[in-house]
Order: sequence, then C-alpha cells, then structure tokens
Amino acid sequence: MPKPIIEVDRCKGCELCINACPEDVLAMSSEINAKGYFYPSVVHPDDCTGCRYCLLVCPDTAIQIENKGKVTTPPEALTGKTFSYCPGCTHGVIHRLVAETIDSLGIRDRTVGIAPVGCSVLAYEFFNCDMQEASHGRAMAVATGIKRGRPDLMVFTYQGDGDLASIGMAETIHAANRGEKITVIFVNNAIYGMTGGQMAPTTMPGQVATTCPTGRDVNLAGWPIRVVELLKTLRTPAYLARVAVHDPKNILNAKKAIRKAFKYQLDGTCFSLVEVLSTCPTNWGYQPHESCEWVEENMVPYYPLGEVKVPEEVPVQVGS
Amino acid sequence: MAKKLMKGCEAIGEAAIHAGCRLFFGYPITPQNEIPEYMSARLPQVGGMFVQAESEVAASNMLYGASGAGCRVFTSSSSPGISLMMEGVSYMAGAELPVVIVNIMRGGPGLGGILPSQSDYFQATKGGGHGDYRVLVLAPSTVQEAADLVIDAFDLADKYRNPVMVVGDGLIGQMMEPVEFKKTIKPEELAEKPWATTGCAGRERNVINSLYLDPEQLEKHNWDLYAKYQSMAAEVRHEDYNTEGGCDVLIVAYGTVARIAKTAIDQAREKGLKIGLFRPITLYPYPAEALAKAALGAKAVLVAELSTGQMVEDVRAIVAGRRPVAFHGRVGGMVMGPDDLVAEAEKLVAVPA
Ligand SMILES: Cc1ncc(C[n+]2csc(CCOP(=O)(O)OP(=O)(O)O)c2C)c(N)n1
Repeated sequence: MPKPIIEVDRCKGCELCINACPEDVLAMSSEINAKGYFYPSVVHPDDCTGCRYCLLVCPDTAIQIENKGKVTTPPEALTGKTFSYCPGCTHGVIHRLVAETIDSLGIRDRTVGIAPVGCSVLAYEFFNCDMQEASHGRAMAVATGIKRGRPDLMVFTYQGDGDLASIGMAETIHAANRGEKITVIFVNNAIYGMTGGQMAPTTMPGQVATTCPTGRDVNLAGWPIRVVELLKTLRTPAYLARVAVHDPKNILNAKKAIRKAFKYQLDGTCFSLVEVLSTCPTNWGYQPHESCEWVEENMVPYYPLGEVKVPEEVPVQVGS
Repeated sequence: MAKKLMKGCEAIGEAAIHAGCRLFFGYPITPQNEIPEYMSARLPQVGGMFVQAESEVAASNMLYGASGAGCRVFTSSSSPGISLMMEGVSYMAGAELPVVIVNIMRGGPGLGGILPSQSDYFQATKGGGHGDYRVLVLAPSTVQEAADLVIDAFDLADKYRNPVMVVGDGLIGQMMEPVEFKKTIKPEELAEKPWATTGCAGRERNVINSLYLDPEQLEKHNWDLYAKYQSMAAEVRHEDYNTEGGCDVLIVAYGTVARIAKTAIDQAREKGLKIGLFRPITLYPYPAEALAKAALGAKAVLVAELSTGQMVEDVRAIVAGRRPVAFHGRVGGMVMGPDDLVAEAEKLVAVPA
C-alpha cells in the first residue's frame, strides 16, 4: 500500500498537502514540530492511492511517498538545507522542479546556477551545484559571462519579478535578443517579497502593496508587464512559456516546461525562459491555500498559461 | 619580437590577448572605442569571444560571471561608463574575482567632455563603488608601458583575486608609439582556478558570492580583504627621474602629466633650476615610502594633475608637512604645458621655504 511519509521537522505547517489530497489521507496534528509548526499526520493510510499530490505541492520537500517497499527521495540537485521561504510560499516547489530536471538530465556536475537578489537570494545554498550570486537584476548578464566563457556548462538563472522585469529588464531583453543559450526560471509572485511587499512591475491592477496602499493604479503605475509576451516580439528564436504551481496539475505542467527549457539549452538550440506564477502568502496577506486560489482567480486570467513561443529556424538574411 | 608602431588603445587590446585573455565584454564610449573595436576584430581570430553589452552595468556583471567561471576577462571604458561599472566592480571585489578594467579617463563630472583628464583618481584609488574595498590601480605614461602593465594586470588580478584597473587618458589611448609585447601566454597554460564555478564534477560545489548576512562573518570578510589590500603593498612601483643628489622642486605626476613634466625638467635645466620627477606607476597601492624619500631630497614638492586636486591629498598625507606641497591642475580636457610647470616650480623656489 502506498503512503506518505512526513519528515516532520522540515514542515512549516502550510497545510497545502492536506488541501491537495483527494482522499483526505492527511490531517493536521495537534503537536508542534521542532520549528514550532503544526504538521500533517497520516490519518487514513488505507485511503492513499499513491497519487503524490501531497509530495508535489509541498514547498519544503517534507513529504516522500512509500510504495511497494520503495521510497521517493529528494532530488540530488538540492542540498537538503531547509528553505528560507515563508510557510506555503511556492518558491520551494519551483526549486524542487528545477532540481528534479537537473537530476533527470544528468547535468548536475556541469551546471552553474545564478541566484538573484530577492527572496531567493540564498538559492546558492539550496541548489546542489556550482552557483553564483548576482547583483539585483543582473543574473542574465552574469549568465552571459559564464556561458560565453564556458559554452560547455549548463547555465540557469532563477529570478523574481522585481529582479527580472524591473531593475533587470534591460539585461532580460538583451540576453533574450542575443539568444544567449541559457535557461531562465522567472518567478512571478506579483510583489517584492524580500523587501516587505512593495509594488512589482507585475503587481495586479487594484492589488494592494506597501507602495500602492490603495491598490495598483494603472494610470499612475501602468499595467502589469507580461514578460513572456513582451519577449515573444523579439525575432531571435526562443522557448518561452508561462506555467503555474498552485495545484498538482499545474505543477506537472510546469515541470514539463522547465525540462523543455533545459533541453533546448542542452541541445544548443536557443534562449529559454519559463515564467512561473507563484504565491506570496505573507505579503499578499492570505493563507497558503487562499493564495493558490488567488493565483487561479486573479493572475491566470491576466497571465495566460502555456507555451508562448517555441524555437524555429529563422534564416539569416544579410541586408533584409 | 620586433617593435610595431601601434595606437595606445590597440596596444592595450593586443596586450590583453598576449596575456592569454580571450573574452571581452564592453560598451562603446569615446575616447576608447578603438579598444572594443580592436577586440571585436581580433578575438575571433584567436578563438576568443567579444560581446557588445547593452550597457556598462551589464558588461561589469558579465565580467563577474566569466571571471567567476575561471576565465581571464577584460573590459575597457571611459569615465561615465566606469561609473556604471562600479556595481560589478564592488561585487567582484566582494566575491574576490580577478578582472582587468581599463579606464581611458575623460573630463567630468556628468557627461563632461571627451578630452584627457585624470579626474577619476579618487574613484579608482579609493574604491569607487560601495563598500570597503580597493582595486589595484596602474597608470602607464607611454604606449609601451600601457602594453606592459595590461599584461601584468592580468597576473596581478589572478594573484590577488581582485579587480585591477589600468588608468590612462585620451592622449595615451590615441598616441602611436613603437611597442613590443614582453610575453605571450596561451590560455591553456594558465593555472587552474580551483575556486571557480566550472561544474562540480569530482569535487565539492563552488559558490561565488558577496553576501554575508551574519555581521560577525561580514566583519571578518572585510578585515580579510583589508589584509589582502595591505599585502598588495609588495607591488608598489614608481619611477624617479632626475632626483639623484636631490632637487630644488620635486614634481609628482603620473600618466600623461609625467611626460609633460619630463619636458619641463629639460627646460628648467637650461635655467639652472633642478626639477626632479616622482612618477607613481601604481596609484593603489601608492609608493608612499619612496615618495617620502624623494620629497625629503627636495626643497619643495609640486603635484601636477589633470584635476582640481585629487592625488595631491595623498601626497600631502605622505609628505606630512615636512616639505611645502603646491598644486597645479588643469581640467576639462585642458592640459598644462611644460613651461607652466617650470613657472610653477620657479614660484616655489622664489618663496622662502
Ligand atoms: C541595487 C539594489 N536595489 C534594491 C535592492 C533591494 N531589493 C532587494 S530584493 C528586492 C525586490 C525583490 O523582489 P522580486 O525580484 O520580485 O523577488 P521576491 O523577493 O518577490 O522573490 C529589492 C528591491 C537591492 N538589493 N539592490
């Protein structure tokens, strides 16, 4: 019989697993763990179907699945260090997807990741490969430097929306336009998480942030930037996709897109960027599961999901 | 190797190639465009890579990435562009990454002008970007010396794992002089950099980083960097010219101004006035001991710069009141003549010290 195994002391009590389980296998315990959080326990083990939804949505790699004597293991491309993210923040889910991709492609020992400035500034402590920590917004410039100097390496950046679409917008557009053979994981949580919830270039119209206390006024701040659609206008071939991680189905789609993005780099085909709609329960002021609903109801209609551009050969015509 | 007549900027670019550098990231700005232009043509011929960045901010961060991945890497710019590069320079200093940056200085502040200037002395020698750091600063005064120092700059950068800046101005950049390259290093001959992010096959993973959230660790990091900067004192270089047996007036000048001072020395000799020249070649670390010695052998010191007075502050601190220190500066792209320096020197000896 399959069953979830909870690594209690990794848990931050976000309850996303309990929401995700279709069979009500899990329930919150009344005990707290070493971190001081309530954690889920397995209350109806016989009902577990081994669907892995709990594992998929867990942002803290705190759940593994035992099935037929085999237990899933966390990706080798993660160091195992507890993430510094708030409870329920989906940065952790995205980290796991990237790490699983690195593992499945067998590229960990020739990958260099670039951490941004933002909540994921410490990503260099979490990804178990060579890492560089860039200044705010410049991750793609740093990636360009690495890839041009060492084309044999696999280079990825991991960036938030303030980092990539505000202070780093010039670096973003030009790295894409030069067709740098790098992979960009763009985490759009519609807010500046690390600095305490200020408005981002991707903050939704009317969304309250600490620097737009009455909600984003599009007449003053403009409309939220749709990064992948913007980059799509460039003629240089690229792989551009937008995915989300607020439920198991979307997480599985996100994993496919991230894998494709890395593959395009591995094959030397093109620049690849996957925008991932992510949550910020702390600064949005919602519970983790409400945040996931907020993504579905507010972000997905404005930021449509799917592949926005796939590479095609553009014949170079001098003087055209 | 036979000497070749080359423009300063081109000699600088060729010197980088002789140093085993195969990567250039930069953004055009006058008066140094000949360097990126030269590199864009030359690097592909030697299996290298030239990238025109979208800005100097981006260029400086490309340097960070490439240097972090263990590559010898190079850029050049001029004053306003160097200001934009200060982000990357501060991060490279913090992460201890070697890089060579050439600043062909032009007049400022702001957009200023495009003519020769030495007004970025403070920026170059006192850090320039945020945080408590220093870069090694070399100041050539001939095209040959520019080529020599660029080659040395790469070795020094690797030795100290620190940015090295070579400062010149439009005169040195545009002037043609005979040059030969003192050595040719093949990239594959360069020593491995075990700290670089080259993929973690067969070893622990490497991290390039300047973030230290723990104040005790950041303090330690700062003192470790400080100790490294102190150890760079071993690299001081200078030239003494016409100072044997002491002199009436010691001119302290670097780069282009030192060339003018040498002509002034000849003119003064005809007038029976003995002027000596102390020319710092390293501006950081500053050849302080040698300057103190030379200054004590003179009746007075005259600092000449293409600025309203920057290096003079260091000279005054070193001379420490033991000799009068006067200053003569031209700015905005205006350059003093040798006769101006002779006249200033004459004034100094006319006044009882
Ligand atoms: C040059 C510079 N400007 C500003 C900051 C402050 N800062 C740190 S993170 C951040 C915003 C990060 O937001 P985002 O990129 O959306 O990532 P998140 O924290 O939401 O994951 C800002 C403005 C900085 N570190 N450096």
